[in-house]
Amino acid sequence: MPDFILTFLKTALHVLIFPGLLFVAIGGLLLAGIDRKVLARMQRRIGPPIVQPFFDFFKLMGKETIIPNAARPAIYKAAPLIGTASLAIMMLFFPLFGHQAAWGSTADLIVILYLMTIPAVAIIVGGSASGSPFAGIGISREMVTMMAYELPLVLVFLAAAKKVGGTSLVFSLDSITAWQQANGCLLFHWAMIPAALALLLVIPAEVGTQPFDVAEAETEICEGPLIEYSGAPLAMYKLNTAMKMFVMTALFTVLFLGGINLGGGVLGWVLGGLLLFAICAVLTILCMTLIHAVTARLKVEHLFKFYWTVVAGLALVSLVLVWFGL
Amino acid sequence: MILFNYITAAILLVLGMYIICTQKNLIKIVLGMGIVDYGVNLLIVSIGYNDGGSAPIYSFPDLINGAVHHFVDPIPQALTLTSIVIGACVDAMALSLVIMIFRKYHSINSDDVRRLRG
Amino acid sequence: MSYIHYPVISVMGLFLGAFLVEIFGSKNKKVRFGITLVFVTLATVLTYLLIKPVFFDQEIISYWMGGWKPEAGYAIGIGYEIDGLSLFFGLLIVTTFFLSTIYSWRYMEKDHHLGHYYTLFLMLCGAVLGLVFTGDIFNLFIMIEIMTFAAVALTAFRNNREGALEAGFKYLVIGSLGSSFTLAGVAILYLSCHTLNMAQLAALLSEKGLDGLTGFAFALMIAGMGVKSFIVPFHTPAADAYTTAPTSISMVFSGMVNKAGVYGMIRLVYVVFRAMGLSSVQLLLVLFGTVTMFVGVTMALAQHDFKRLLAFHSISQIGYVLTSIGLGTYFGLFGGLFHAMNHTLFKGLLFLTAGAVLYATGTTDLDRLGGLAKRMPRTTAYFLVGAAAISGIPPFNGFASKWMIYQATYEKAVSTGNIAFAFVTVIALLVSVMTLASFIKVTQAVFFGQCPLALTQTKEVPFSMRLPMAILSLLCLAGGIGYNYVMSYVLSPAVHSVSNAVGYVDAMMGSGYATAHKVTMLQSEPAALSVWNPVMWLLLFVVVLTAVTLVALTSEKRRGPVTTGQEQIPDGKYATFFGGEKSEHSHVAGSDLFWGFKKDWKGYFRVAGNLHSGNVNDYAVWTVAATALITLFVMIFIV
Repeated sequence: MPDFILTFLKTALHVLIFPGLLFVAIGGLLLAGIDRKVLARMQRRIGPPIVQPFFDFFKLMGKETIIPNAARPAIYKAAPLIGTASLAIMMLFFPLFGHQAAWGSTADLIVILYLMTIPAVAIIVGGSASGSPFAGIGISREMVTMMAYELPLVLVFLAAAKKVGGTSLVFSLDSITAWQQANGCLLFHWAMIPAALALLLVIPAEVGTQPFDVAEAETEICEGPLIEYSGAPLAMYKLNTAMKMFVMTALFTVLFLGGINLGGGVLGWVLGGLLLFAICAVLTILCMTLIHAVTARLKVEHLFKFYWTVVAGLALVSLVLVWFGL
Repeated sequence: MILFNYITAAILLVLGMYIICTQKNLIKIVLGMGIVDYGVNLLIVSIGYNDGGSAPIYSFPDLINGAVHHFVDPIPQALTLTSIVIGACVDAMALSLVIMIFRKYHSINSDDVRRLRG
Repeated sequence: MSYIHYPVISVMGLFLGAFLVEIFGSKNKKVRFGITLVFVTLATVLTYLLIKPVFFDQEIISYWMGGWKPEAGYAIGIGYEIDGLSLFFGLLIVTTFFLSTIYSWRYMEKDHHLGHYYTLFLMLCGAVLGLVFTGDIFNLFIMIEIMTFAAVALTAFRNNREGALEAGFKYLVIGSLGSSFTLAGVAILYLSCHTLNMAQLAALLSEKGLDGLTGFAFALMIAGMGVKSFIVPFHTPAADAYTTAPTSISMVFSGMVNKAGVYGMIRLVYVVFRAMGLSSVQLLLVLFGTVTMFVGVTMALAQHDFKRLLAFHSISQIGYVLTSIGLGTYFGLFGGLFHAMNHTLFKGLLFLTAGAVLYATGTTDLDRLGGLAKRMPRTTAYFLVGAAAISGIPPFNGFASKWMIYQATYEKAVSTGNIAFAFVTVIALLVSVMTLASFIKVTQAVFFGQCPLALTQTKEVPFSMRLPMAILSLLCLAGGIGYNYVMSYVLSPAVHSVSNAVGYVDAMMGSGYATAHKVTMLQSEPAALSVWNPVMWLLLFVVVLTAVTLVALTSEKRRGPVTTGQEQIPDGKYATFFGGEKSEHSHVAGSDLFWGFKKDWKGYFRVAGNLHSGNVNDYAVWTVAATALITLFVMIFIV
């Protein structure tokens, strides 16, 4: 069975190195560093070096892991890793700048939608398993945040699918990218601009940055679900947050800027990777750092209302416009 | 003539449903269920009725020869019998539940028997 | 013995077992359980043996009771007919009641009058199995009545439990209203077609089309089946009955009793009335399905009883099934039947875990439970599997079927250009997230967090209760990973037989009868569904998860009290942080976990709470009004 082994090795390479775990982890940590640096500059501080998140990560990895007596050890330790695995796998569904996705399929938009919930569920289950009442409040907020951003996200996806597919069912990112290669990026079709704005507003809530960090509000509920975490599992959670930054901004790039083509070959891949990273950095600064710098934390019920009225409204406008052929 | 049967059946059905929907007394509700049953039974037995027809007791040769062709349909009558039996069982069970409810709640007013809600 | 006798032996065996248990089993618990197990196993094995002829050889089994074959083109006897659809539901049913029987052995041990329990249980099983195997519409009604009767008695079985009696009474009133509608529909059909055989009805109705009379019958029977499958607004007795019945029976209710209603619905609209080509019928079913899934899940979010929450989720998941089936497309049928199957598996599993919690702690109140994960680790693991499956987390089976339902609804939306179906997709996805939310609530309230003082002595449930849960968990995982195999070996024959009305009629009435009466196939089957192959990445996902779990399990460090010299002192760093307050055993209870969400929706929750008033008159008004609306809709838009 050499074929099977070869396929397996190839898949393992995809998952672990590129465009999976290693790529997303490094990219995410760099983005987190850029975020912190730019935020500091906006607040007229010097800020940490851009590689500071790497130092933080490795330092946390070396610390002792304290499992509280009230916790359920197996779930407590496995939860962050499940989140990491699903984030690494998500990247495999993204076709990058004209290249096929590593794992393209007929309806991967829905798969992505569900994979995106897994890191949040991992935080919730892990926090819940740690047994702290602070975590109990934190997971409640995390879940409400999730319900809040899921509606606009679904509407954005459906609008994109309708725009690309017309009267046939297209839920595949590969097809969406191919369509953009032929017809120009979705961002430049004016009917999709409200949807793009909606997705930009969904990103900070999904990642959990201020003002949408109600779940981990340090000043109120002491990091909520992460309160009892320490050592390696905490490092993995921090890594997950950084990876989410990268994956979510990459999702925006694929969905709305997939029309950019840099050609094939090794050069195309390298250029594509660099361009992807540059776009992600710009998006990070735009929709996370900037909003973080100028706002204070919302209450959870305000967050919910904001997403179900303003953001969902934006996405709905796009869906209706697209539906009537604009 | 048979039209009266259908009208009566409809009236019984509506009456039964009206009782179930408006009466607070659980025993009256059970009676309402019974009346709905009777309405349906009357409907079924009227369907098989054939004006001036005879009892359906014939042998196959008679039927095939065409010697008889005007008789009451026996199947609805069998259906009605079955349905009556089932209705009686359901009513008995409902009444036994009402007795138990009275023992436990000390009331057979449907406004008092509503601990499960929301 | 030929396999054509198997179905009738299964059904009769269960009824015979009911009598035998009542006669011999009132004293000795081993005797009555033995009799039950023998007949349940017999029915299970015989039904599984039908897989080869019906699923693989595509045969439709017809069986005439007493050999009364059709005479001069009229079916005068009672016929049993088993095609792919019947067998599909039959398999779900036998699996459910087999596992429920095993579970009952220990779960029911503390109750009295168990002879009656097993009698009613066997009657319920026989009735539901007979309902899906029968080919006679009056026999269908009889089976529905036996089912309702046994179900009501079992609901009120633990009559010392709060609300059991009133739940039974409400179920009986609403259920018998539904049965009366069905019977009136049967009578009107007989008036119009002079036959009770479903195959012949299908042929005759297809010849004459829906007129005023048969349209009325159609509306009444849809309402009757709606009551039996507990769609909104007929759902109110379900919530009460599932809550108060013994949990082994709750599992049976959600695994087979409401599936029987769904089966009846599919059989009527697709085969007997052949009405799925009409876009108004599609609209009716999708509307009811969407409302059902939404109302079910929002009501579930407001509950604070474990079993009542699960009951509302059962209602909600039936909404998914109905929506998908109501689309009238092949994709929709695949998704709907697959979800019906998955619902049987994961909801059965969840009800069994709720039963385990009730058995171990004596309560299912979410506000009084907590921290059971350390006391009942296996039950917790099974619960997490079930919760992940119902929330549609990959790689469990709920994801695969929901994935198909979203595609089916959105495909319908884009192909008809009707934006309403796009909102159905949106609502379906939202309902999925809310399902996840309410299971997070249960996870936090029951299994994680701090353990209340009263529950510190809780023990894990015995093996015979864990075994059914383990089997269902494995099936949940297998259905998600190997779902291509489920599609091609289980769902394809079922879906094929739904569309194959010609074969259904011909098997019963003799070949050529269907074409003589202008019965046609539903539509041409698509050459190949665009099926996504999840095996590769799901396998990898599993490998990753296994590795992760192993690492997590092996690297456990020493924790707990530290021994210093003579005495043990608790090490403060392993204690939970409480902000300086002394608050051991303090737990964030689950019943109101999502107040942030509820505050924004408080108007809706108040109205919905008031509508579920608990008053049997109100529920009857809902039932009658909804039936009137369905009739009106059918009369205006279809006839």
